[in-house]
Amino acid sequence: MNQARGAVANIGAGALRVAEEVGGIVILTGQVLRALIPPRIDTRELWKNLYKMGNKSVPIVVLTAFFAGGLMTLQTGPFVKKFGATAIAGWAAGYAVLREIGPILIALMFSGRVGANNTAELSTMTVTEQLDGLRALAIDPVRFLVVPRVIAMMVMLVALTVIGDLVSLAGASITARAMLDIEWSTMYHSFADNLKPFDFLHGIYKSIAFGAAIAMSSCYFGVTVRGGAVGVGRAVNAAVVAAAVSIMLLDFFLTYLTG
Amino acid sequence: MTAAIRIDDVVKRYGRHEVLAGVTLDVARGARIGLIGPAASGKSVILKLVCGLETPDRGRIEVLGENIIDRSEVSLGDLRKRIGMLFQNYALFDFLSVAENVAFPLEQRGGLAADEVAARVADRLRAVGLVGSEHKLTGELSGGMKKRVGIARATVADAELVIYDEPTAGLDPVTTQKIYDLLAADQQRTGATVLAVSSDVVALARFVDEIAFLYRGHIIYRGPATSIADAPDPVVRQFVRGELTGPMDDLPAEEAS
Repeated sequence: MNQARGAVANIGAGALRVAEEVGGIVILTGQVLRALIPPRIDTRELWKNLYKMGNKSVPIVVLTAFFAGGLMTLQTGPFVKKFGATAIAGWAAGYAVLREIGPILIALMFSGRVGANNTAELSTMTVTEQLDGLRALAIDPVRFLVVPRVIAMMVMLVALTVIGDLVSLAGASITARAMLDIEWSTMYHSFADNLKPFDFLHGIYKSIAFGAAIAMSSCYFGVTVRGGAVGVGRAVNAAVVAAAVSIMLLDFFLTYLTG
Repeated sequence: MTAAIRIDDVVKRYGRHEVLAGVTLDVARGARIGLIGPAASGKSVILKLVCGLETPDRGRIEVLGENIIDRSEVSLGDLRKRIGMLFQNYALFDFLSVAENVAFPLEQRGGLAADEVAARVADRLRAVGLVGSEHKLTGELSGGMKKRVGIARATVADAELVIYDEPTAGLDPVTTQKIYDLLAADQQRTGATVLAVSSDVVALARFVDEIAFLYRGHIIYRGPATSIADAPDPVVRQFVRGELTGPMDDLPAEEAS
């Protein structure tokens, strides 16, 4: 009886904690939107974050996207060859990559690399009183630190997704040619004839949503951290988990709502 | 003369722990007052309350003639520009160099040409003995150097109220005296009000006019800095003299036994 009561109490405490965190992220999102009116963004912070979050993520995104595209071809290739349907080999790989695999993999990679780093930076600044230092100098930490990071993460995830889409299509074509003996022209026509602009846009608007989710969760856990170095570790962990769950939930509902 | 700081019956709790249990303290404009007390007695909390970085659970606080309770961050902005604050843990911005940290308050306030900002930063860094460290990142500095950068940043804008939280912690005795001499000269030049917390009571007493003693959530003593060691309150005397036996007992019963 006591064990059952304890289990219910634990579930309740967990639900309250999640509700508190979701509420906190919503409030921080409101503060970010309010800080954008009028849009006074510290351009030095913005450029620094665009470079750090975007440029430095290109190699890992290229690597991930290349193999994601190749993997899709490897999975679908034997079947299209078996049924003599090589004309749709490019479509099969491209459709999956542009709409789902590309945006999700790149977002998860981005969350692990950029989101985690962002939480670690902000939470370290929080526990070393740097945010209080900004406030003492009459500077709003949300406007000065959070807004440039949110914008940089959203812009750069979209840019990286576009790069990733192109690289993954190249990866699919190279894999098809090298391992399945499918001609370049066959893959090209398969992409050109079957993939529609909406397939590309579908992945792009998902990446905008994923970018917002990663940015807000990583910033929220960064600025609300408690408890020194141990707290920083917990905050990074919580931010990565929250971002991953948000990405999956957003992907499901966006796909359901928009097809 | 109006008070620069007026703290009236302020209560502050963290969870169930009541750190301040009705603190009342007035500081006249242009005065230098030191705040001492045992570790974790709430001294830094008072400093943060005065700067509006924390909100009391009860009571009233006026700073430089303005009520700061229930005010938004934005509305506190103009008041905070009139305050300089040195944090106990420095709160230096690790994304900026030493010179950029010191220049930061001036740049954010605006109104000064770049060469004037550079001149004032150079002057401050010379005063705290950090010439040659301008381009270092704060992560490359020792604790004492960080403290001096923090002092330079807190004083560079000639604020009307300057708050120092442990301004000489981690500094050697000679540097400590140099820093207090610098702070005293600054205060005489600007006429600023100073509120300082320090564990080094002897050095602090040479800098401030008056000392207030915070104990168990209350200011239990306030008097001239020069005679603090002979204060009538036995708790204050025990603390200042560093005596192991006396009426002061901060340890919980189970730890003490």
